[in-house]
Amino acid sequence: MSGAVQNSLAAQGPARRRRGSRPVGRAVLYLALIVVALIPLFPLYWLVISSLKTPSEFSHIPPTWAPMHPTLDAIGNAFSAVPFLHGMLNSLVIAGCSTIAVCITSVLAGYVFAKYEFRGREVLFWGLVATMFLPPIVTLVPLYVMIRSMGLDDSYLGVLLPWLANPFGIFLMRQFMADLPDELIEAARLDGASEFRIVWQLVMPLVSPAVITLALFQFVFCWNNFLWPLSVLKSQALYPVVLMLNQLMSYTMSVQYQNVVLAGALIASIPTLVLFLVSQRVFVQGIAGSGVKG
Amino acid sequence: MTMIDNTGAGALPGRPRSERDRIRRRPHRASRNAFLSPALILIGVFTIVPIVLTFIISFSDWSMLTPLTQLRWVGLKNYGSVLTSPSVLGAFKNTVIYVAASVVITVPLAMAFALLLYTPVLRGRNIVRALLFATYVVPTTSIVIVWSNIYASGYGPLSTMLSAVGIHPPGWLSDPRWSLYSLVIFNVWQMLGYYVVLLIAGLTQVPEELYEAAKLDGAGFLRQTWSVTLPLVRRSLFFVGLMTLINSIQVFDPVYLLTQGGPAGSTETISYDIQRAAFQYGQAGQASAMAVTLFMLLIVVGVIISAFMRRRRA
Repeated sequence: MSGAVQNSLAAQGPARRRRGSRPVGRAVLYLALIVVALIPLFPLYWLVISSLKTPSEFSHIPPTWAPMHPTLDAIGNAFSAVPFLHGMLNSLVIAGCSTIAVCITSVLAGYVFAKYEFRGREVLFWGLVATMFLPPIVTLVPLYVMIRSMGLDDSYLGVLLPWLANPFGIFLMRQFMADLPDELIEAARLDGASEFRIVWQLVMPLVSPAVITLALFQFVFCWNNFLWPLSVLKSQALYPVVLMLNQLMSYTMSVQYQNVVLAGALIASIPTLVLFLVSQRVFVQGIAGSGVKG
Repeated sequence: MTMIDNTGAGALPGRPRSERDRIRRRPHRASRNAFLSPALILIGVFTIVPIVLTFIISFSDWSMLTPLTQLRWVGLKNYGSVLTSPSVLGAFKNTVIYVAASVVITVPLAMAFALLLYTPVLRGRNIVRALLFATYVVPTTSIVIVWSNIYASGYGPLSTMLSAVGIHPPGWLSDPRWSLYSLVIFNVWQMLGYYVVLLIAGLTQVPEELYEAAKLDGAGFLRQTWSVTLPLVRRSLFFVGLMTLINSIQVFDPVYLLTQGGPAGSTETISYDIQRAAFQYGQAGQASAMAVTLFMLLIVVGVIISAFMRRRRA
């Protein structure tokens, strides 16, 4: 094997003949690619067209594969059946605050773990990372009890408090910041920059792809989080959009209104989908980086 | 001058590095504490303290509807009642099946997709990668809604398509033999793209020369994949397996929204039981006993996996 490696290195021949370079093989691969693409596309397509159907077309057997008389009625009904817009705004506030807080706490802590040397650093860091693998359900009950005893159940703050810092963010920031050259930071220190200025004006811009990745990750997580708001919130006025969807589902169980529920599901998905599409390149690469380095 | 310097160096061993170290360490105690404390305090208060509290509550008889002062120590009683309850044991069994099925389906499928999307000659593979990933950002609530409609008998597309090719569609969510696996399917659908992205990143780390070497040794595509690619992306595969485990062990949303544990308890999972016991019945002690049992199970699985990985590496 090692002989073969040397051979190939010595040969430096033409690039390896890649898989699928023959026409037939390539056609098969493209077919596979189309099938793979249909897996995410079909349910999303179904979500969109179902939201555009009339109730009678929606419950038609067999189903129609494209809406015959596309209408926005179902989408309008979703907004009037429950305070859906209000739910979107609640989600925006909750996910937005949590995202900003997580980015700040992770950048600061990640910087310390990446660039400071102190006793117990590794133990502390890996101890934190270990909590990343703790499913939130394990601490759900005591967390609720704590929030309630602080008098914060059924409030924005109660929904937010447990999600202002997370070990994944610290891990991601440290991995990316560790690659920055020490000399850069030392030079800034010799110039008399404060540590806070170094983090804010030098380090953070250099790891901005990682920060964007973290921000999107946290925003998506909070926007989609169902269990915690369900457990801690009681007033509809504070419901995030996923709890509004839950209400929509229970209001409209009968088949005639199912397309309103689907319209709600579509609207609730649009903000995170748009955010992802806008920043898709950075996001995918940042996540990939977190996996390789982990 | 020289002499003074020398005595100085004698008094402080390692002087040549000291200048560098001083610059690195000097301002740091204060800023270190200031930068670390927000994250450490928040994680300490909202993760570490609750873990300890879960243990304490699990040894107590306490209704969540009453204040904490009503907490009464009962030793292992909650564990006794939880671990002998057929419904809780069923929930543990369902959770294990759900997790196992998710891992068994997700890891090979994600690997196959990653290999396909890593093929350099294919145009449009980055678009497909982004499409696959897009399902990850859709709220689980929305996914539950659209899939329950895809599964629907009569007006649902899946049953219609299966009937068209002569397969009698099962009652996806209404048949106890199928319901749990129907939930697995949309879990896999939602998470797959994330893992494909992670595995593609792992594949880019495999040195090109190794493929050439294998090719010179006469290895075909399958042989190359089996003997070169898979061993080298083992770490990524392990990570994907672990993430699938952690993500699927806490399945809650689809059970709560769609099946409420039914039909016939076939989709009752441990997360659902914990939340229901605590928030619907107020049985915080029993919910915590279940949570601790789940926590212990996770630790055991973690220890076994890491021991296995260490042996493989050695």
